[in-house]
Amino acid sequence: MQAVRGRGLTSRDTMTAWLLVAPAVLSIIALFIVPIGYVLLLSVTDPTVGLEHYRRLFTVPLYANVMINTFKTSLIVTIACLLIGYPLAFVMARRNDAIAVIFLVAVGMSFWTGFVVRTYAWLVILGNKGPVSAVYALAGWGKPPQLLFTSFASTLGMTHVLLPYMVLALYGVMRKIDPSYMRAAEGLGARPFRAFRHVFLPLSLPGVVNGCVLVFTMCLGFYITPILLGTPKDMMISQLISQQIEDLLAWGFASSIAVVLLACTLVLLGIYNRFAGLDRLWG
Amino acid sequence: MVRKNGRRLSGRNMPAAMARHLPLLLAWLAAIFLVAPIAIIVPMSFSKAISFEFPPPGYWTGYYAQYFTSDSWLEATANSFVIAFGSMVFTLLVALPAAFGFVRYRFQGKSTLNLVMMVPIIVPAVVSALGYYGFLSLMRLVGTHAGMIIAHSVLSIPVAFLVIAAALKGFDRNLERAAMSAGAGPLRTFFWVTLPVLRPGILVGALFAFLHSFNEAVVAIFIAGRAASTLPKKMFESIRLESDPVIAVVSTLLTGSVLLGVLISLLFRQRSANAA
Repeated sequence: MQAVRGRGLTSRDTMTAWLLVAPAVLSIIALFIVPIGYVLLLSVTDPTVGLEHYRRLFTVPLYANVMINTFKTSLIVTIACLLIGYPLAFVMARRNDAIAVIFLVAVGMSFWTGFVVRTYAWLVILGNKGPVSAVYALAGWGKPPQLLFTSFASTLGMTHVLLPYMVLALYGVMRKIDPSYMRAAEGLGARPFRAFRHVFLPLSLPGVVNGCVLVFTMCLGFYITPILLGTPKDMMISQLISQQIEDLLAWGFASSIAVVLLACTLVLLGIYNRFAGLDRLWG
Repeated sequence: MVRKNGRRLSGRNMPAAMARHLPLLLAWLAAIFLVAPIAIIVPMSFSKAISFEFPPPGYWTGYYAQYFTSDSWLEATANSFVIAFGSMVFTLLVALPAAFGFVRYRFQGKSTLNLVMMVPIIVPAVVSALGYYGFLSLMRLVGTHAGMIIAHSVLSIPVAFLVIAAALKGFDRNLERAAMSAGAGPLRTFFWVTLPVLRPGILVGALFAFLHSFNEAVVAIFIAGRAASTLPKKMFESIRLESDPVIAVVSTLLTGSVLLGVLISLLFRQRSANAA
């Protein structure tokens, strides 16, 4: 064993540390990385050995459309989450009163309520016997347009489901911004909006980046909401995977889609890691 | 300050006043957008309607009775609790020592291993689910509680680790030195000084692992089978196949518990803030 490189990096320390981290690291390798490797293996061996699945994935226009649709939807959801979440996080971070507590409870509650429960709520709201229909009937507008099982429904549902992640990512950064900076800017005569734009906004940008990366990557592979609220006409990657497995039992092809999804996620997070360091992403 | 307040009230600066209130208005709208859809579930659970209908045509508690007498719903509930508890224990057993290793020691391969620790939250859930399905069928663990506990614990190791490591980084090691110099051995110091001080962080990590498993649906859908089916899996399948109105009851119970949990944790935070 190589001893003492730098300050205090002794082989005894390394041994102790390895013993401490071994259970976690080995569990992750044996019980997570190996299974993922199995997906990779399946994608080039099931049913026959070769890159046939990938060739199909990249040449059939239908699948290219699924990819484009997934990225487009994820982008829309990310922007929507940012626009809705920013003011909420801003107020939460800058207040210390009952309103801040109420908002914190609202965000915490939706964060900890499972995806299935919240998606179910949208199923009721957008359904043809839901409140939207009731409002249409009350106003005498007749039948509302078909909302459920559209890409609109799935985009709306995902925005709702992922919003708490955005808010918490923003809040984590915003809370550390010293309020005296804004007071100083305003004390020097800047109007509130100017103070916000030149002082607060730039300081909150790391939170914006964190929130957007988090929401976008979660959205790329999002399973529950698009499958329950969306339509097979505008599929996202997860719907395609589900369809391949449930309807066609095409595990090999499904695995190759999963590998492409994983690759996209890794590239995005790799870029993030290069500039910010991955363990900052979850605050 | 006085001059500024005076200016704010004058008509010329109305936009400034609006600028002050606009964020609050937008924040309220966002909060309502977050909560209102969840709140709608509560009246739904007392609804007489057979399918998803809002506003409800009439109210009763019949579907609560159905939930509490349905074997399959109760079994899914029990499975959820057992699996979540098992994952919590497994997660803590490996994440706690790992946090000590990473925070207190400098060692070779640290940055690589740190990256390995993060892998489970980097990988999209569908990909993990596919991997688990293949892997656990090889081990004949698909549709078993053990398989679910393994899958869920590994997925919650990273966050539990991050939470505990953050608590450990803020730990003042002078407390340990004081205990040691007062004659306490390393074990005594660990159990009587280190662990109690870290308790809030460990509790949050444990809670996270429990709730992550309790809410997790995607992996469950792929690997839980019928025997180890959890609530989210059963709800997902009920929604797709039969739109069972009991879903509203389960959702209400779950949301209610979450709200209670959030309020309790806020209370705790308030108390520890006051104590500090």
